[in-house]
Amino acid sequence: MSLAQISRLSVTQLVLRSQSHHLLSSVYPLIISKRTVIQEPYRRPGQPKENKFPWEKINFDLSKGLKGIKKNFALLKKEFVERWVGPEGKPIIEHMLEQNRVVWEFRGAESLEEWTVSSDREIGGQSEAYVKLGRNNNTCLLYGTLRSTPPRDGETRYSGYCTMRSKQQLASFDRKKHFDWTSFNTLHLRVRGDGRPWMINISCETFFAHQKDDIYNYFLYTRGGPYWQDVKLPFSKFFLTHRGRIQDDQHCLWLDKVNTIGFTLGDKVDGPFQLEIDFIGVCKDYAHTEEFAYEVYKRNPEV
Amino acid sequence: IGTLAIKHITLLLSVKELRHFHHSRAVLKIRPTAPVEFIEDKEKNKKPIVQDDLFERVAKKNKTKATFNRVVDVFTKQDVRRRGHVEFIYAALKKMPEFGVERDVTVYNKLLDVFPKEVFIPRNFIQTMFNHYPRQQECGVQLLEQMENYGVMPNVETKVLLLQIFGPKGHPMRKYQRLMYWFPKFKHVNPYPVPLQLPEDPVDLAKFSLNRIADDLDAKITVYQMPCTDLNESGQEITFPHIVGIQSPSQIDLLAKHNPKRPVFVEGPFPLWLKKICVYYYILRADPIPPEEKVEEPYDPERCFDYPLQLDLDLDRDLGDEENFDVEDLDEGPVFAMCMTNHGDQATLNQWISGLQETNPILGHIPTLFRLDSGTRELQVSVDFKPGPNQEHQESKPETEERTAEEVEEQPQIRHSMKQ
Repeated sequence: MSLAQISRLSVTQLVLRSQSHHLLSSVYPLIISKRTVIQEPYRRPGQPKENKFPWEKINFDLSKGLKGIKKNFALLKKEFVERWVGPEGKPIIEHMLEQNRVVWEFRGAESLEEWTVSSDREIGGQSEAYVKLGRNNNTCLLYGTLRSTPPRDGETRYSGYCTMRSKQQLASFDRKKHFDWTSFNTLHLRVRGDGRPWMINISCETFFAHQKDDIYNYFLYTRGGPYWQDVKLPFSKFFLTHRGRIQDDQHCLWLDKVNTIGFTLGDKVDGPFQLEIDFIGVCKDYAHTEEFAYEVYKRNPEV
Repeated sequence: IGTLAIKHITLLLSVKELRHFHHSRAVLKIRPTAPVEFIEDKEKNKKPIVQDDLFERVAKKNKTKATFNRVVDVFTKQDVRRRGHVEFIYAALKKMPEFGVERDVTVYNKLLDVFPKEVFIPRNFIQTMFNHYPRQQECGVQLLEQMENYGVMPNVETKVLLLQIFGPKGHPMRKYQRLMYWFPKFKHVNPYPVPLQLPEDPVDLAKFSLNRIADDLDAKITVYQMPCTDLNESGQEITFPHIVGIQSPSQIDLLAKHNPKRPVFVEGPFPLWLKKICVYYYILRADPIPPEEKVEEPYDPERCFDYPLQLDLDLDRDLGDEENFDVEDLDEGPVFAMCMTNHGDQATLNQWISGLQETNPILGHIPTLFRLDSGTRELQVSVDFKPGPNQEHQESKPETEERTAEEVEEQPQIRHSMKQ
């Protein structure tokens, strides 16, 4: 990481701004000459590069192709038919007057297939995260254990996170499909946590390749206890981060092409956690008129 | 040969002197400023001091802020050139939590003060463009990052020091500006704040956490039992765990309307995290009321004279006026009360239930089942609850009812023991 990058604030630290911390397990001098190529996905330290041409990774299996044809043409047909009804398969009057929309709800096992769960296992950590349906098959229960011992690979200094992220929606022939939430301004969640702070990450479609890790974040604080909690998070409060570092040049979240939403826990407190989600929706809050909560007329900080 | 030898010796001497000049070995000599504890050690090992060593030697005695500051002082006074200050700062950052100074701005400022001033400031724009003295800047950034990790807000002194060391455009200065921009923004973002110092007393902690999860200002906290130790007849020591409960008036109403034929459940323990501390709570709840038993309460207009509690205006609602989400409501059954105790066995919770009976006399007629879990810690929802193979408390129904009958009989005895 270059100096310009490490001098930015890291997001996971910010969640716990007012929180207490475990001691840092290690403070090593960084290696400044090492530059991460921005295009490269994460590779564990010491792991060799995969020396393959891109076409060698394609699976040319006949049965897979046949299955793909069936799936893709079904999707294509759905796209054409939906167009006749109206935008996004709804009548135009309903689409225009929509005040709120439930985007994800958890009813049945197939709704969990839209989500991926990961933890710091993939960078060598020891956290565990699992997802399952709640007791009456109406909610999604994200549970596991957080352990913030950094992996002993000599480079990684911080560890300890668990995330759940929705999968990228795909239209026919594996084209990306986006959510269009331009008529809404607030994210609405019904959750039940155990008092731990979470972070919500929204990733949008970006134009340039170097922006592909740009993510908009905000905090989700849970109360804990047996009651459900309705949380409304205005989209204007989400701030821009890149690979876990807050950017100086802040811009508001563009809601026309939203790809995924994610939940991250990384509060550096070792122990079990759980978060129950009833539904995730978007709504229009007329009382909220703010466009962006952070200054855009100058760089933060002005340098 | 003699002259040659003398020449050789003089050469050697000059080389030695030169080395002294460059390595400032001479300065490493004992000075009167160094405290006594460091002097003897330095004489023992002549090799240059490893910075970790300095801390570890002190760490044997006592780890306080004063000794930490003294180590920093010793280092700064050792050498005018501050040789090895980057390594020293890294070592100091690593040792900070051990000495318990990781949240102290003054200590961070003192560490920053170790950097020599005005040496690393770029003198022209080309130096500013590139990383001027990258190792040192990186070290400064690392120091600020540790401040960030522990949530320490830098102050004006930090800024002045950074200006003196790295100049106004260095990376540490920018990191400082970023900290000063973002920290106050998110300082009060938590709607359910937890104080920095949580109460030490378990009863106070239980009161705080119950107030937090109850989410009701009317809810009343009752301490059913204070923690105490007592001697019984045979001379053995018995410790009574604390039992703190919370119940709001609306919950009392709900429980009073509960159908006595349907059982209520004591469930738990469920975790609640307050920063680094995890506490466990128990709840008293019932299954959701089946739709055929639900009674529509007639609205009482005399409940509030100031303003109508219900308006039945026949307004034309447009399609766009729909403000509720199209999801089916989760009905998980009412929660009647919550409690916290440090000893979550059935006898203790029975005592809580018997304490609850004073305000809720109906509890005497309702069968109470205990679903105490030690394995999976999650909220149990029992719409279609199936008995698991390895959970002994989920037995067939008549048995559990018998057990509860026994428990009800046991209750008076427990209360007697309390009075004694």
